[in-house]
Amino acid sequence: MFQRRRVRILLALLVAAAIALVTIDFRGGDEGILDRARGGVTAVFRPVQDGVVTLVRPFSNLGRSVSELLAIRAENERLRERVAELEERRRAVSDLERENAEFRTLLDIADRTELDVAAARVVALAPSNFEWTVTIDVGADEGIERGMPVIDGDGLVGRVIQVTPGASRVLLAIDPSFSAAARSAGDGEVGILDGRGGDPMVLRLLDPLADLAVGDQVVTSSYQGGVFPAGIPIGTVAAVGEGGSALAPEVQVNPFVDFTRLHHVLVVFSTGVDDIPPFEGSDDLEFERPPVSPRLDDDADDDVDDEGSDEETSDGEDAGGPDATGANALGAPRPRP
Amino acid sequence: MMALLLVTAAVLETALFPSLALFGFRPDLLLLVTAVVATRDGPMAGARVGSAAGLLGDLLVTSAPVGLGVLVVSVLGALVGWSRPYLAPSSVTAPLLLVAAASVAGTAAHGILGGLLVDDRPGAELVVQAAIAVGLYNTLLSPLAYTLVRRVSDAFPLRGAGFQ
Repeated sequence: MFQRRRVRILLALLVAAAIALVTIDFRGGDEGILDRARGGVTAVFRPVQDGVVTLVRPFSNLGRSVSELLAIRAENERLRERVAELEERRRAVSDLERENAEFRTLLDIADRTELDVAAARVVALAPSNFEWTVTIDVGADEGIERGMPVIDGDGLVGRVIQVTPGASRVLLAIDPSFSAAARSAGDGEVGILDGRGGDPMVLRLLDPLADLAVGDQVVTSSYQGGVFPAGIPIGTVAAVGEGGSALAPEVQVNPFVDFTRLHHVLVVFSTGVDDIPPFEGSDDLEFERPPVSPRLDDDADDDVDDEGSDEETSDGEDAGGPDATGANALGAPRPRP
Repeated sequence: MMALLLVTAAVLETALFPSLALFGFRPDLLLLVTAVVATRDGPMAGARVGSAAGLLGDLLVTSAPVGLGVLVVSVLGALVGWSRPYLAPSSVTAPLLLVAAASVAGTAAHGILGGLLVDDRPGAELVVQAAIAVGLYNTLLSPLAYTLVRRVSDAFPLRGAGFQ
């Protein structure tokens, strides 16, 4: 009992001392005796604290490093998943951008050439290794017909060779059985372009003395009633073979179109070039028949006499129409398309 | 020797455990030593060790008014010592729970009284978090503290130890 009382007395004294210390500390402020005592204790313990800190720092750093390593691993895993997700999204965006660029190019060429076209998507490649054809998703239902040219944003792709109601098959310009009239975009030298499969296409020039250089551009030609609209880009001259006085040089042409990456194409609703109407029948051509025939031989004079007056010769049907030999009244051969 | 144990506890609390903080809180080793001493040696030893530990903490560990630690830790030491007869002698968990309760109560009391005495008072949420974290941390360290205190007390018995 006495001991318990001693404890209570001690506790009461300690509480009173604590309250007194708090009071002294408050009243002393920053310059009080207890504040100086606190500074002294700190100064005494500071070297010990520094020594302990120096001693345990490697271990604490080790512990921190371990925790950081675990955190970094978790962060790394999270970032890897994020990168994979973003990479997948980037690929999707890249594919959309490529498709968008293709569509823009197709729209651009359709606007620029003012051709009547139908857009199509390449849905299949040739099943054989010896033919270069693709299948597109438009057919007779969309007005597609055999022989129609097919182009894309880069240039000539080929022509339609088979039509079904919902799909068509296109013979690519690089197929060995493909042939088209072509000309040099620079000097207009014309020739026949043939496909060569995986090798560059070959342009057989009509003029043996034609002078083509590597890098010249080759476009389609309407020469001799070619089936393609004139001016569709085909490719660039890659090499010019040996020619001669009678032997036309063989020109190798690298196509503009990447035939391994055909996705979207345009089918041109045009199969060739319309016949050029007779000059005399043209509405926008100012043509006035001369009063006398330019021929000076006697037969011509007789013809003039036989035809009679100027009024008679002004009849276009009689004067300007082609005769049975294909020559017009001027004696010149009728231009052929 | 007990004074050396308290000084060591204060140095470790200020130099080592800041880098081993649990949820941002470090253990209150001075409170832990006081609770262990009180559990082992009774209220008189608890109050005396608690007053020394509180004063050391006031001067070295905290920036709270000097005397606050003396008040809190010495009272807690006496209370823990008084509760010692009510613990089952063979129980292992009872001393640990007592240390945990003393740590929670001491930290909360320090926070509340400190908040009443200074302008920059901590929020109630922070006081609760600190009390729980310190209680947990001290409980984890209490087996080691019991071992050290037992060896020191056996080698250098405290005057007044065993007072009920």
